[in-house]
Amino acid sequence: MYPDAEGIEYPPVEFAVAPSRVRAFAGVFGQADGVPPTFPAVAEFTVLPEVFGDARLGLDFSRVVHGTQDYVYERPIREGEDLMIHARIEAVRVRAGIGFLTVVIELREPGGALVVTARSTLIERAADA
Amino acid sequence: MRRFEDVAVGEDLPSLVRVVTREDVKAYADAGGDQNALHQDDAVAREAGFPGVIAHGMLTMGHMAACVVSWCGDPASITGLSAQFRAPVLVGETIVAGGRVSEVDPLTRTAILETWVTLERDGRTHQAVRKGVAVVRFP
Repeated sequence: MYPDAEGIEYPPVEFAVAPSRVRAFAGVFGQADGVPPTFPAVAEFTVLPEVFGDARLGLDFSRVVHGTQDYVYERPIREGEDLMIHARIEAVRVRAGIGFLTVVIELREPGGALVVTARSTLIERAADA
Repeated sequence: MRRFEDVAVGEDLPSLVRVVTREDVKAYADAGGDQNALHQDDAVAREAGFPGVIAHGMLTMGHMAACVVSWCGDPASITGLSAQFRAPVLVGETIVAGGRVSEVDPLTRTAILETWVTLERDGRTHQAVRKGVAVVRFP
């Protein structure tokens, strides 16, 4: 991974909180009502393939595992609303051959108001010696 | 819906148990959009050093969230959630989500919970999620 990738911001992407997607996601967790707290993962995976494939990052996806995940909700996500996904590379660290990548994905209202901040740390395990 | 007045520091959340099946992992891949072959193809998982397909960390975290939602009664009252992923969860394993109230703030009607997900393997307890935290704000 390339530490120079720190600070890269990706163009915003539209994200519709379609009730069908919310219900499908909630169904996996047996949740009958409301938007599950980890539903923003659906938005994250709308943009993460682009991030993981970004040559400026130099990530070997076959060695990546999920290290930590954090969500801060400014307000609940509403079924049926349209949001924007803003993704950025917050940090890239390499220690003893192990890479630590922190990706921040914000869900914002079209007018800019922040709804959810999702912060993921991904670990690129050392290549086999 | 749980009332803030009934929440006390030290209170344990009821555990939430789930057997993670291959169908569950596929269902999460479809609903969550993470189609990484590590979660669907045993050969790919073995090449990555696992005995077979592993569950998405986000399936485990979603189960932890479900434990908190069952306790407080409303997903909209959760204002923060975090997890550190440790032991991978293999298909067929049983995960147990739990938690405990560590702080309450009457001023903001907020409770902070320590949360976790464990599993038993080879006679030992492993942490699939450690140092989980949930912040619940009551109306």
